[in-house]
Amino acid sequence: MKALRWLPWAALAVLPLLLHSNFILTIFIFSFILGMTAVSFNLVFGFTGQLSMFHAAAFGLGAYITYLAVSLWHVSFWIALLPSTAFTIAISLVVGAICFKFKLKAFYFAVVTLAFSELARLVVLNWNSVTNGTLGLMVLDKPVLWLPGAGSVKIDGTTAWYYFSLAGLLLTVAVCAIVLRSWIGRCFAAIRLNEDLAQTLGIDIFRYKLLSFMIANVLAALAGSFYAFYIGYIEPGYLSIAQSLDIIAMVLVGGRSSIIGPIVGAFVLTGLPHVIELSAEVRVILYGLILILTILLMPNGIVGTLMGRRRAA
Amino acid sequence: MVQLLIGQALNGVIVGTLYGIIALGVTLTFGITGIVNFALGEFMMIGAYLTWYLVDVAGLPFAVALLPAVVGAAGCGFVADQLLFRFTRNNLINGLLVSIGLISVVESGALLLWSATPKDMSYVLTGSVQLATISLPEMKLVVFALLAAVILLTYAALSRTWMGRAAYAFAQNAEAAMLMGVKTARLQSGVVVYSTALAGFGGALYASLYSLEPAMGGMYILKGVEAAILGGIGSPLGSLVGGIILGVTEAIGSIYLPSAFRDAYGLVFIVGILLYRPSGLFGSDR
Repeated sequence: MKALRWLPWAALAVLPLLLHSNFILTIFIFSFILGMTAVSFNLVFGFTGQLSMFHAAAFGLGAYITYLAVSLWHVSFWIALLPSTAFTIAISLVVGAICFKFKLKAFYFAVVTLAFSELARLVVLNWNSVTNGTLGLMVLDKPVLWLPGAGSVKIDGTTAWYYFSLAGLLLTVAVCAIVLRSWIGRCFAAIRLNEDLAQTLGIDIFRYKLLSFMIANVLAALAGSFYAFYIGYIEPGYLSIAQSLDIIAMVLVGGRSSIIGPIVGAFVLTGLPHVIELSAEVRVILYGLILILTILLMPNGIVGTLMGRRRAA
Repeated sequence: MVQLLIGQALNGVIVGTLYGIIALGVTLTFGITGIVNFALGEFMMIGAYLTWYLVDVAGLPFAVALLPAVVGAAGCGFVADQLLFRFTRNNLINGLLVSIGLISVVESGALLLWSATPKDMSYVLTGSVQLATISLPEMKLVVFALLAAVILLTYAALSRTWMGRAAYAFAQNAEAAMLMGVKTARLQSGVVVYSTALAGFGGALYASLYSLEPAMGGMYILKGVEAAILGGIGSPLGSLVGGIILGVTEAIGSIYLPSAFRDAYGLVFIVGILLYRPSGLFGSDR
């Protein structure tokens, strides 16, 4: 049973050997990177029960800072992740502390985090000298990885990015799994199920909500950096509300009660509209319909529904 | 300078009443069905395009086109309610996601139908009123008067009529209201449809002042939600006042600060109000 869990990952690992279609592998890369974002978002949303709208901001700010560090200080991608992570931690602590100190819940927490996220987007949009405004920035660098036997390898091309983003996704899943299986995860669950009771039992809900918010944002910033360096382009739209909503949609379509649910959601919402050849407008309509139908017909998401079936059978 | 200030403030009031009418829809829907209908902006867009179509393509006079445009938007609202929102009552997140999906569908549909090129409706009233040294376009005054009247009438209807009191009762305690003979399912559908009619009305008037594009709804729903929170969720007058405060701040703020930051004021308001007075300016303390 335990070995079965690794089967999908193994299948994903050998896929590029069997399949030489760049088109399909590209869809997989996008799904992996957006899956990283969705999985990390689900830590704060599905497992801690807080509807954060700050996720796109963390994703976008991470991307911008990593790129700016690379281009201004001429350091490698890996070193540049440090300031980006540090900044994400700092801003998560500030925003999270404000929201949680004032005990904002549900809708109100969503609105205030959304407001901070939009403020961050407006700063990025209008700070022309650094971010180049609406035009965005070209990211010409690629991460360099040292591999045993091959030396330094530049991550370039579809197959390389396939494995790179798969590794990123695996890392995100691993971090979430470790956190959720520890006492921290149980505190998150307690907060999600009954915040007042959790507090009565001596759980410092302020601290654990903040921790959940912070870990999720740091992982989102990592995903944002991956995304920027894969596409080779950053623009303020990374921080938009639409981006936040896309992430929520992936989590809900896939199912928020499991770690891997959001990955399935990322595949469905990124992949399906592209599998069939359609014009851009029809593709967005299809996206909207998938979203509406899954919410109405499968309220627990695809993974939640499948697992429920299996349990019932 | 004073002239510019006053002129901008008046413009702000008019845009603010447009925010207010969306805010009223947001506030009513949230109070009665427990969801925030983010697709309200799309019904505004539908109302605006219907008006443009009826006036510029079919050649009807503006005053005649208003009613079918509002009915059209409300009809779309009824279909959306029966097909979608009926199943997301009191489920904030599902309601959010369903309305987001609806935005994707409606906005892309509008792009296919009318393309992204902005549409300008022919002017309805071209005259302007001189107030000392300030000239005010007549149409803006008419729009302001109509929107404010609708919001005030809604407020009066909510506090004076049986239906309105039933709605308040339902918002306070759904079960008790049901036991007192309030037809809850019909009330909820009615409020959703009414809020889309309000949005359609706002859109129809919007068409007489500004140019239309399929993405217009997105901005107005955000401002509407901000205005609703600012005024206090559940308060019809609050949504009007919240909308006007937001509109005036944006208009005056753009004189002193780069206009790029115009969208930021509402956000700063929201953060402030939710931290220090979560029930909004007009909301009752719970």
